[in-house]
Amino acid sequence: MKRFLNFLFSSVVVLVSICVIAALIGIFAMLIHESLPAFKKIGWEFIASGAWYPTYEDAEFGMLYMILDSLILVGLTSVVVFPMGLGIALYTTEYANRREREIVRSVTELISGIPSVVVGLIGVLLIGPFMLKIGAWTPFNLLNAVVSLTVLTLPYAISLIIESLQSVSRDLREAALALGSSKIRASAMAIRGAKHEMLYALVLIVNRVLGETMVVLMVAGGAVMLPRSLFDPIRPLTAAIASEVGEVELGSLHYSALFLAGAVLLVISAVITVTAETFIRRGKRWLTG
Amino acid sequence: MKRTILSVVLFLALGFLLIADTLVIKGSNTVLPIAQRWVEAFKKYYPDLAVTLEGAGSSTGIKALFNGTADLANSSRFLKSSEVEKMHAEKKYFVPIVIAYDGIAVIVNKSLPINDISRETLKKIYTGKITTWNQIDPSLPKKRITIYSRNTASGTFETWENKVLDKERMAPWVQMLESTQAEVEAIKRNPYAIGYVGYGYVTEDVKVLKVEGVAPSMKTILSGEYPISRPLFVFVDLSRFGNTWPETNVVAKFIKFIVSPEGQKLVEDAGYVPAYPTTCSE
Repeated sequence: MKRFLNFLFSSVVVLVSICVIAALIGIFAMLIHESLPAFKKIGWEFIASGAWYPTYEDAEFGMLYMILDSLILVGLTSVVVFPMGLGIALYTTEYANRREREIVRSVTELISGIPSVVVGLIGVLLIGPFMLKIGAWTPFNLLNAVVSLTVLTLPYAISLIIESLQSVSRDLREAALALGSSKIRASAMAIRGAKHEMLYALVLIVNRVLGETMVVLMVAGGAVMLPRSLFDPIRPLTAAIASEVGEVELGSLHYSALFLAGAVLLVISAVITVTAETFIRRGKRWLTG
Repeated sequence: MKRTILSVVLFLALGFLLIADTLVIKGSNTVLPIAQRWVEAFKKYYPDLAVTLEGAGSSTGIKALFNGTADLANSSRFLKSSEVEKMHAEKKYFVPIVIAYDGIAVIVNKSLPINDISRETLKKIYTGKITTWNQIDPSLPKKRITIYSRNTASGTFETWENKVLDKERMAPWVQMLESTQAEVEAIKRNPYAIGYVGYGYVTEDVKVLKVEGVAPSMKTILSGEYPISRPLFVFVDLSRFGNTWPETNVVAKFIKFIVSPEGQKLVEDAGYVPAYPTTCSE
């Protein structure tokens, strides 16, 4: 009986893991399979041109501007979120007493529970009108998207960075303090000790922002153009997919092109992740000799 | 014990499926306010009926009619030639029922001192040849025009493309919004914005412009004086009923209801122009 139960349990576990792996491979295969017709028809023009007119008579499927919009948004948001997250994380791990730490923890947990559509609404109803007040020509623009995405991802960033800081052993910090270094120096030591974990955290944050859809659909502006200022509207790839996939004719070129956009997102995310990992591996090898 | 509960639940679920009639309606965002009123009133006559109503865009509705995932498709445009060809190829038979007329109203923020606009100017704004308000009239503010449009799923977008843009491309900085309500809301808050919405969606919060000197109204839309107007349709697939007109099922009853004086009164309530009489003559 016991052996049978053991067998049952292990086979269930194996089955579940096979399902997960199969689903992953399935997603890849489906993306490639569905985007292939568009790639064959459009060719490399899809990243050479920025003209996205999928529903016109002579349709054009240039994704360059949307790809760049996505990258600009990801870059700006990470530049804002990461240092802010690092600051708050350092404060909680190095300076805060227990009560303050509790407060930061519960607040971030609370905020991270807000659904992205609610953050989008905040962007539409609160940040949008504020944008007009400070002189933007449209309430929905790059800056609004950056601010809304910051609200959405900051709690996530904080907990990731706290985790990476906590991975540094306490001894290191205490030894530094014992040797007479200032608290700032000790914090810097902690950051240096956790730099690989932090790079991982950054990659996770970047991927989160890259894939975020609802918020950018609501507040980024939905204009396929290259922004010249923070006040220009943009349309990242995810927003275009979400907005257009609902009406597109199954099996049409437009449909396939949207899958191609999805594949582009996947490639961008893979490139970022792999680059970071190589970086970390090389760094570790250098450290351990 | 567990098993009994399970079987009772299953039995109930099955019973529910068998007893309740269902009606799935999908399609145009523009027709949605009418359809909501219809469904509400219709349910008073058939309380057991389960109705699903979605308004994600005309193309979505027609696509659902092809897939068989909807019984009726609301549409703010007629079938595209590609859809007619596909319909023939799949041996389907979609029949249009004109249920109302709609004018597309051009709206701006209330504070903007403009009352009248020409179709030519609208085309120039949307294709990007005009970018600031003072290019239209020097007395208007020297501010960049925020241009809103519905996304490409919308039948309103397609009508706009045909009747205003003459198939020319929109400028890249035209901002696509996901729903008409979002457009009205955005224009209410932005003093330099322009947009276009179905006549039924116009609220007190925004200003409607005259186009070529004609304001959209029941009268001007019905007479065709107002230049940007269109019929609204409900499509039904007769190939599902053996290519004959259904007379007894729930789809038939619903269609009878929507063209009845009561149904057409609801069209008027929603702010559109009824296609049939709203009162019964004896």
